[in-house]
Amino acid sequence: MIIKGGVVYDPANGVLGEEMDICIDAGAVAEAAGGPTIDARGMLVLPGGVDAHSHIAGPKLNAGRIMRPDDGRIGTEPRRGLCRPCTGYTVPNSSAIGYRYARMGYTTVFEAATPIIESRHTHEELEAIPILDKGALTLFGSNWTVMECVGEKDLPKLSAYVAWGLRASRGYGVKIVNPGGGEAWGFGSNVKGLHDPVPEFNVTPAEIIHELARANERLCLPHSIHLHFNNLGKPGNYSTAIETLDLLKDIVPSRDRQAVHVTHMQFSAYGGTGWRDFESKAPEIADYYNKNDHATMDMGQIIFGSATTMTADGPLEYANARLLHQKWSNHDIELEESSGVVPLVYIRGSPVNAVQWAIGLELALLTEDPWKVLLTTDNPNGGPFVKYPEVIALLMSHKRREEEMAKLPELLSKRSVIGSIERELGWGEIAVMTRAAPAHVLGLKEKGHLGVGADGDVSIYEIDPREVDPGSDPALVERAFTQAKYTIKAGEVVSRDGEIAGIPQGRTFWTDANVPEEDMARLMASLKEKFEKYYSIQMSNYMVQEAYLSRPVAVRAGVEVAQ
Amino acid sequence: MIQEDVVCSFCGCLCDDIRVETNDEGIVKAKGACRLGSSKILGHGPGHGRISKPMIRQDGELVEVEYQVAYDRAARILKAAKRPLLYGWASTVCEAHEEGVLLAEEVGAVIDSTATVCHGPSVIGVEEKGLAGATLGQVKNRADLILFWGCNPAEAHPRHMRRYSSNSTGRFTPEGRKGRTVIVIDVRETRTARLADRFIRIDPGTDYQVISALRLILAGKAEILGDEVCGISKGKLVDLVDILKKARFGAIFFGLGLTHSRGRYKNIDCALSLTAELNAHTKFMIMPMRGHYNVAGIGQVMAWEGGYPMSVDYSRGAPYFNPGETAACDLLARREADAALIIAADPASNFPRSIVEALAEIPVIQIDPYENPTTLLADVVIPCAIAGVEVEGTAYRMDGLPLRMRKVIEPVHPSDEEILKEIRESARRLPDDH
Amino acid sequence: MRTITLRPLASHLVPIEAEGLTPDGLAKLSIEEMEALDLWLGNRRTRLCELFAIEVDGKPAPIEETTVILDGDFSRVKRIGERMSGGMIQSLGDLGMHAGAGMSGGNILIKGSAGDWLGREMRGGSIEVEGDAGNYVGSGYRGERCGMRGGSILVRGNAGVFLGEHICGGSIHVSGNAGDYPGAANGGGTISIGGDTHLPGAEMTKGSISVGGRTTVLPGFQFQDEVELEGLTYQRYVGDLVENGKGELLLALAQQSA
Repeated sequence: MIIKGGVVYDPANGVLGEEMDICIDAGAVAEAAGGPTIDARGMLVLPGGVDAHSHIAGPKLNAGRIMRPDDGRIGTEPRRGLCRPCTGYTVPNSSAIGYRYARMGYTTVFEAATPIIESRHTHEELEAIPILDKGALTLFGSNWTVMECVGEKDLPKLSAYVAWGLRASRGYGVKIVNPGGGEAWGFGSNVKGLHDPVPEFNVTPAEIIHELARANERLCLPHSIHLHFNNLGKPGNYSTAIETLDLLKDIVPSRDRQAVHVTHMQFSAYGGTGWRDFESKAPEIADYYNKNDHATMDMGQIIFGSATTMTADGPLEYANARLLHQKWSNHDIELEESSGVVPLVYIRGSPVNAVQWAIGLELALLTEDPWKVLLTTDNPNGGPFVKYPEVIALLMSHKRREEEMAKLPELLSKRSVIGSIERELGWGEIAVMTRAAPAHVLGLKEKGHLGVGADGDVSIYEIDPREVDPGSDPALVERAFTQAKYTIKAGEVVSRDGEIAGIPQGRTFWTDANVPEEDMARLMASLKEKFEKYYSIQMSNYMVQEAYLSRPVAVRAGVEVAQ
Repeated sequence: MIQEDVVCSFCGCLCDDIRVETNDEGIVKAKGACRLGSSKILGHGPGHGRISKPMIRQDGELVEVEYQVAYDRAARILKAAKRPLLYGWASTVCEAHEEGVLLAEEVGAVIDSTATVCHGPSVIGVEEKGLAGATLGQVKNRADLILFWGCNPAEAHPRHMRRYSSNSTGRFTPEGRKGRTVIVIDVRETRTARLADRFIRIDPGTDYQVISALRLILAGKAEILGDEVCGISKGKLVDLVDILKKARFGAIFFGLGLTHSRGRYKNIDCALSLTAELNAHTKFMIMPMRGHYNVAGIGQVMAWEGGYPMSVDYSRGAPYFNPGETAACDLLARREADAALIIAADPASNFPRSIVEALAEIPVIQIDPYENPTTLLADVVIPCAIAGVEVEGTAYRMDGLPLRMRKVIEPVHPSDEEILKEIRESARRLPDDH
Repeated sequence: MRTITLRPLASHLVPIEAEGLTPDGLAKLSIEEMEALDLWLGNRRTRLCELFAIEVDGKPAPIEETTVILDGDFSRVKRIGERMSGGMIQSLGDLGMHAGAGMSGGNILIKGSAGDWLGREMRGGSIEVEGDAGNYVGSGYRGERCGMRGGSILVRGNAGVFLGEHICGGSIHVSGNAGDYPGAANGGGTISIGGDTHLPGAEMTKGSISVGGRTTVLPGFQFQDEVELEGLTYQRYVGDLVENGKGELLLALAQQSA
């Protein structure tokens, strides 16, 4: 396939708005190719979109669907053409997730959290998502074995467990959510801060985070630790954010990437002592990022309207449900995690929601380097992924932001600086935040760019970046990004003008990390005991079997790779 | 040959520690399984009522035919129907469920599971309130208080108490039964009630009022209650709340006694609120005692495939969900369904008589390893391998935990998944008459 | 004025879905266009003229001046009057499920009985039923927090269970008895029941429910006082206190049993 004459933005390769051809041969970008030609003259050509943090599969998604038939009916689309029927807005069915991402030009999406013991479920749902390449991040932050290894200060054993847990869950990277809090929530409490010991385990969240980061680098994993901070969602929590980031300054990345990825930073950039004096601390966070290079973040932008919050942060969800008098689902997972699901509505008239809205944008606009900030809504926590084009328009147009601010409470100007920010992101910066940076942050070398050898994933938008001024015409930008002219996945057109044109089965990335045998042997002894005494299933039934990944891609890592 | 850690395919406990011994004859032992489980696992051979060949009803008699003939006949029946119903699914694996949803899409059917006659009301309750749950291992390791409401695990889920709940041991529960308080609330003194520390008998149909009263007491509003609530003294209820609040980790398990008594999903709705409110004081979770081994699985599969966990109507090409309108019993009670495919369930034994009569009036396709009362009214009978014994695949435990069922012996018959795929392909080859 | 009369050509057990049958949908159409309207008979897309005989009296007219008359048994026809904004529907016999769902204006008069979910999530307008109504009159959809928000429903016969579940506004009057749990999670609607019912107002937070006949009061209702309304004495309760509710439950004194 040859994509001819488009205006290409491929920031990873230093291409910023050049008119050039892209060739795809055997599913990958090539020097030359035959086959069909796509006329992309006057159109924006980008690498296929990459979402490094989205909730798209697994027990939490289904919990959301089951408790929200009201959401299910919103996105109803009948079976048509190649497409199976679709339902849902914030919690769509699996088919809809694949089609809707593809229509926007996205080709790779990573599920943000899977508990090891329920990963079979996550993979069943990932397999049911059409078109996309995907992976899942495995939860380790409140895991008994992790905490014991941390307590014993046994880094080799901890590394062995991380490697084993990734294999057991067929997971891609290390996700840490409110470390220690999930265990505390098992008896209905929480950890209050980084140095508050986890009940019964005598380790602190700080130790869990730091040691998992060391294990992550010892194993030379493609992705860094992927961290959801303690105290997330609470006024005044920005200090926890900065304290945690400081804690990780001594981590030496084993690969060319960050030492820590902080997810949905918006929910952790809060000032104030309560909801009454709640304010944005995004400037402080952005300033920290401007002065330090060991961390990346994603926005976790909120979208006004309906959302379904879902997180392994169980106590947070209980607090949300009580505060908002909402439906509440909770699911605690033996020896490993907690989790919760709460539907909510972000309302323009609410000063708190307005400040949250501002914080996400401020983080992206005040952080100078777009490679440090990924565009996300923490789908569907801040809002559904189908609203990404709205976020892009807001970032590219001051005018668009002012229009929105006019609908928000006046108090916003006292509690945030959003009104004073004139920066408008350019096409290249958006390409970084939605393509190049998420791929780089995840360590996916063949994603997020269009260099020779990259995956043949391309999105083509019917907008000419040489003609359109996004600052004055944000509506054009939003419309173009809402529906790609073409989305190409591994050289196959999968969406054209919003019509699904091909439904390939995507691949699933997971990380296969080797560790020295003696470390694994020591680990096995303690794991065996856990299965005999504590788990409710047998060890031989625990691991995700090969049958659950129809197109696995094992990324090699491990102690030997590191040496 | 001996196979360890086989997953039992009887009830929602999905015990995965069964030691199965096979020889040339088939399975000869199922060590570790309860009597219900072992009869299921051992009951695979001929002589257990297995159907040997596909059959089609001709002139009132079931006549043996080749598989393809049965597939084509089934496809024609479904394709000709204006309101076909695909019902059952509780005793097969998720791979078959996925095929079932595809078939429903293909023929514009209503697809529903046996949940409609067991924990369907629980699902509607969850739609109102959400569900505060946990895996069974949390109960095993942490629960010091267990409340069984309208359920009788001692007889219906024989290993539940030992493996997961009242008598299990774990990290923070080393004393097992001794360290726990077990309470049973029911309308009669069941075997489980006799094993409990405290049994509270309530009048049939008063669950909602009793739960409401408990919520009021919990909220500090006991003073507005009279001396008695539905025949139970206020003091007894105040004591109960006190016990619940003092627990370190409380687990409520409920069964059909709550879901199918007067009030139905409102009972569950209220119990879910009670659980959520108890979490303001201590840790509490709540769980339905699912019956068939994979009735939870069909709910999961339907939710990710179509957005809703049961009773989904695909007749207009898009999923529409509205139990009360789109559940199997609703369709049959109103004589709407004009054909039915019954798989991995026996509605002729479980449905009310008038609904079975409705089923008898329409063409019925049965997919099952065994002959049962539904066979008597079926027009096409397709024997299948026993999922979870002869076919591997996924099942979801009552707490939502997924396990992979093992294939213990080689099947003679095709799997449910294969049969459904063949019927769908046959249906696809038929011309559209609409 | 324009009057459109529909008569079933045959009786069906398989339900028909006919959300297009509203004054809004028909007011401006020619008879040929009406005949070609899409309906669903089970899983078959079919045309209006294949199921109903159409008789039209009068030229295309504004919605408000359009009346749709349903002459015959429409008990298997669902979603008639869904989202209508004005005009009139008269059903001379029984009418199927979801009649008037989401309607915002106009009138529906049902001379026979109505199916379940009558006036589900309605916003305005009025519905009158001379016979009985099914379950979930004026309720919400599954999982929604808000059902009927405005308008009025009058049922002269009996109503089924879960009458006005999640009602947030508007009013429902049932002259006869209502099934279990009327006004559950009432968030601001007014419900009056002439006859008997069971456990009214579960988890109600606002609004009012009055019961003329016998009933059972939930534990979360606290007796306040006696009030005179239209010549009758009512016991007034406030609840449901399980939800810190401030709803009003009025029980006609003479017929109240504990």
